[in-house]
Amino acid sequence: MSGLFDQFKEWYEKRHDYARAWKSRTGGQVVATMCTYTPEEILIAANMLPVRVLGAHEPQNVTEPHIFGMFCPFCRDSLAQGLLGRYDYCEGVTLTQSCIQYRQTFNSWREHVPTVKWDYYLPMPNEVQSRFAKAQHYAEIKKFRGYMEGVIGKPITDAELKAGVEVVNENRHLLRELFEYRKETNPRVTGVEALYASITAQFVDKAEHNKELKRVLAELPKRKNDRAEGIRFMTIGSENDDVSFMAMVESVGSTIVIDDQCSGTRYFWNEARIQDDPIATIADRYCERPACPTKDYPLHTRFDHVLKLAQDYNAKAAVFLQQKFCDPHEGDYPDLKRHLEANGIPTLFLEFDITNPLGPFRIRIEAFLETLGEEELF
Amino acid sequence: MTAGEKKEYWRWQENCWIDESKNWRDAKIITAGIDVGSVSSQAVICVDGELYGFNSMRTGNNSPDSATNAINGVLEKSGMKLEDITYVIGTGYGRVNVPFAHKAITEIACHARGANYMGGNSVRTILDMGGQDCKAIHCDEKGKVTNFLMNDKCAAGTGRGMEVIADLMQIPIAELGQRSFDVDVEPEAVSSTCVVFAKSEALGLLKAGYSKNKVIAAYCQAMAERVVSLIERIGVENDFFITGGIAKNPGVVKRIEKLLGTKAVDTKYDSQIAGALGAALFGYTLMQKQGASKAAA
Repeated sequence: MSGLFDQFKEWYEKRHDYARAWKSRTGGQVVATMCTYTPEEILIAANMLPVRVLGAHEPQNVTEPHIFGMFCPFCRDSLAQGLLGRYDYCEGVTLTQSCIQYRQTFNSWREHVPTVKWDYYLPMPNEVQSRFAKAQHYAEIKKFRGYMEGVIGKPITDAELKAGVEVVNENRHLLRELFEYRKETNPRVTGVEALYASITAQFVDKAEHNKELKRVLAELPKRKNDRAEGIRFMTIGSENDDVSFMAMVESVGSTIVIDDQCSGTRYFWNEARIQDDPIATIADRYCERPACPTKDYPLHTRFDHVLKLAQDYNAKAAVFLQQKFCDPHEGDYPDLKRHLEANGIPTLFLEFDITNPLGPFRIRIEAFLETLGEEELF
Repeated sequence: MTAGEKKEYWRWQENCWIDESKNWRDAKIITAGIDVGSVSSQAVICVDGELYGFNSMRTGNNSPDSATNAINGVLEKSGMKLEDITYVIGTGYGRVNVPFAHKAITEIACHARGANYMGGNSVRTILDMGGQDCKAIHCDEKGKVTNFLMNDKCAAGTGRGMEVIADLMQIPIAELGQRSFDVDVEPEAVSSTCVVFAKSEALGLLKAGYSKNKVIAAYCQAMAERVVSLIERIGVENDFFITGGIAKNPGVVKRIEKLLGTKAVDTKYDSQIAGALGAALFGYTLMQKQGASKAAA
C-alpha cells in the first residue's frame, strides 16, 4: 500500500522546505496560521500561502518563560517552533479566536518571534449558535479583508475572494471524496494516509494539493489492498499529527477509518455555501462547520455529529486522543464518552503530550483491541 | 556482610516451584506463559489447564534472555524440555521479544485471566501493582477485560518505588510492609506523585526525627493513596483482587483495603505470577479449541 500517498508524506516531512520553495517560486508571502477557524480564503485571495503551525514532537526548552506549563502541549510545541526560528519564512502570523491556550501561543509568537512583520488577531464568536454570530463574524471577516488589503497595498476584489473560496471548496470536496473510500470494508485508504492528505492541505498551496488529490483519486479504484482490516477505529480530539502513533495503532490489528479532529475532518468537512457576497459565504461557512468544543454551546451539536461519523464509517470503537491540559476537549470528554458508549461505541482515553511514549500506548491499544475481540481465548 | 560490602535491600526473593503431586508426562496439553516485565520475569507452566510450576526472577537488560532464563528454571526443576510444551504465550513489556512464544497478549488481559484463576470467577476488579506501572482492570466472570486504566509516566505506586525506599531505609524489602504497622500514630503520606520526590521527603522525615518505621508507613500510605486514586477512576466492583509484587506487601495492601472499604480476595498463589499464569491459561484454551476444531473436521 505504499507509493500512492508519498507526495503527501514528503510534503508533511519537508513542510518548511516546501513553504520556502513556494515563496521563492511565487514571490508571495507566507502566513503562519493557528487554528482551523482561520478564513484561509482571504489569505489565498491576497496571493499568500497559509501555513498552519504544527509541532515537532520533540523535547524543547524554550517556551517556559512564555506560556504556562499547564497549557496544552500542542500550543507549547507550536510556540516552540516559532521561537526556534523554524517558521522564519513567514511574514505574518494570524489567529482566529478559539481557545485561551492558542491565544497565548499567538500573543507570545507575535511579540517574540523576530521574523514576524505583521500579525492579525481575528476575533470570532465562541457562541456560534447565537443569532448574532454570523453578522458579527461577517463584520470581522470584512475587517480582516481590509487589513490584508493594507498589508498587500491593493484591494482584494470580490472576484479574487470568490476564486479563493472556489479553490478551498474544491479541496474540501476532494478530501471528502478521498474519505469516502474509508467507508469501505477493509478500506483502500489507511488512517495514516488520510492524515497525510488532510494535514498537508493545511499548509500546501491549495491548487497544488487539489491536483495531487485528483491524481490519487484517479488511481484509487485500481488500488489493491494487501493489509488486514482488524478493528475499525475512530479517533477524536483536537490536533493530532503524530504519525508514528497512528502507524503503531494500525500495525497492531486496527484501521483508523474516520476522525473528529481539527487535523482531519473538522478542517474540511463542510463546503462553503456560495452566496453573492463572498464575505457572507466565508463568514457563514466557519460558523456552520463541525464545531470545536470551544464553539459548541449552549447545545452540544458535536456529540451527534461524532456519533453519526462513527456510524457512517462503521467504526467499532473510538479512541480519544486528548492533548494534556486541553480544557475544551477534556470538558466534553465525559459526556461524549457516555453518548458514544450508550450507542454501542466503546471508547479508550489516551493523554497526549509533546512526545508520546509509544510502548505504553501500544499496551493500551492492544489491550483495548483484546476487549473488543479475542473471543477464541475464552 | 563484610565491611564495604553493599547489601541490596531492594532484592526480593526469586522463586522457582513445581507441583510435585502432578506428573507432567501424563498431560495432554502443556502450555507456558512468559511474562517479561520491566522489573521481574515469570515463566508459568500449566498442564491440562492447571498450574504446574513457575519461576519468578529479576528481568535482566535483555528481554529474550530474561524469558529464556525464566523458562529454563522451571524446565530444569521439572525435567521437562521446551519441545514438550505445546504452546507458549508471551506477555508483559517484553512480550514480543520472547523467542520461543507462539503469540503475544498484553499483560492487562493476562492479569485478568490469571486473577480469575487465582481468586475465582467472582473476581471483577483487579489491581496489578507491577514493577514500573500500575493497572486497574475490570473483568467479567470469564476473566475477560471489560475496562482498564494504567498509571502514566511515573513510577510512584509501583514496585520500583518500594525498592528505592528499601534501599534508602536499609531494610530488606520483604520486611517493609510489616514494619509499617509498628508505629504509634499513623503518619501523613509522603508525596504520592513522584518516587524521587518521595525519596527526598522520606530523607527529610528521617532528619526531622521520624523513626524508619514511621517513614515506611508514610510511604506505604502514599503508595496506597496513589493506586486508590487510579482505581477509583473506574470504580471497585467486588470481588477485588491484587496481583503483582506489591500484593505481597501487607503495609500497602491493608491501607488500600482501608481506603477502598473492601477486602482483597486472599489467594494461596504467588501474586507475581498472575500475568504469566493468565498467558499459559490462554494458551490452554486456544489449544483446546484448536483440538476441538480439528476433531470436528
